[in-house]
Amino acid sequence: MGSPSDAEVIGRSLGEPEAFGLIYDRHAPALLRFLGRRVGSRIAEELVGELFRIAFERRKTFDVSRASALPWLYGIGSNVLLKHRRAEARRLRASARMAAAGGAADRRASAAALDARLLFPRVADAIESLPDSEREALLLFAWEELPYESVAEALELPIGTVRSRLNRARARLRELLEPNGKGRERSR
Amino acid sequence: MKPVDLAKKLRREAAFEPAVLDRGKAALMAAIRQEVPMRRPTIIPRLPYENVGAALSFLERAFGFREVPAARGVRADGAIDYTMVEFGDGMIGLGAQGAHGAFSPKRAGTASQYVTVHVDDIDAHHQRALASGAEIVSRLHDHLRDYRAYEALDLEGHRWRFLQWLREVPSK
Repeated sequence: MGSPSDAEVIGRSLGEPEAFGLIYDRHAPALLRFLGRRVGSRIAEELVGELFRIAFERRKTFDVSRASALPWLYGIGSNVLLKHRRAEARRLRASARMAAAGGAADRRASAAALDARLLFPRVADAIESLPDSEREALLLFAWEELPYESVAEALELPIGTVRSRLNRARARLRELLEPNGKGRERSR
Repeated sequence: MKPVDLAKKLRREAAFEPAVLDRGKAALMAAIRQEVPMRRPTIIPRLPYENVGAALSFLERAFGFREVPAARGVRADGAIDYTMVEFGDGMIGLGAQGAHGAFSPKRAGTASQYVTVHVDDIDAHHQRALASGAEIVSRLHDHLRDYRAYEALDLEGHRWRFLQWLREVPSK
């Protein structure tokens, strides 16, 4: 007996609401980790509940041509996170301090290590100051390692738009790698 | 370093205690039930089994029971810890033995109760149980011109009694 696809389960949950529990069983671990990376474990635990309650309420709107509900759930998670920008910024800055300290301890690459102390806090600032949709596209791509199509599904955007947002986010970060403003060379 | 790799350096995992997911599930299911009032029987007996997963497939195959969606609890090793099956408007829980001091007849050596189930077509039900290897311990026959029934043991020795009122049995 093959296990039913997410689309089938969500379809069934319209008549048998409790079937939606299977969607939680399948995807809650990934989403909890996702939320945890963004806002830390304490808030993530609250948000994963909110995320699934919203998903349950909106299950009628799930596009059943999609086999997996995961990108859709990421999209709901991204919206839920918007209300917690401050917690997110706090965690990002803490992560930057840790990355900077880690880099400084690695004396094998001393020049790079020196840079790391300055660099990572600036990376955090840069990510933090991206417009919501660019930051979301970047983090779904870089941290969650979603392919472009899934980022597009999650953010309900055409894939071309996702590509251009990611390019803008990349450009912002690239500037940080080149301390004197303009890049030495244009990439391609 | 590529810009995206730079962003990756700031990716940091959060630590969760294992119970977090269970709490989230319980809260979600409670919210779902509140949203849609469940038609649940007032009394739901639970039968203990040594192997809940095997019992579940047997009960589905032999007796036509159906697992209640999302009722299942799974242990860390992947085995089913408990679940529920429904049949008509009735419901029975299946749980790992030992919990709440209850043991499977397979271990206890004897069944301490039997469950009566009313079915729509007793002859077909009996055929299905026979074909699935259920041990029939009381052959199918009519009682006092009142009802037709048979009794069977499931694979761990729980005793089930299936019956249909004779007035509901279509005359051939």
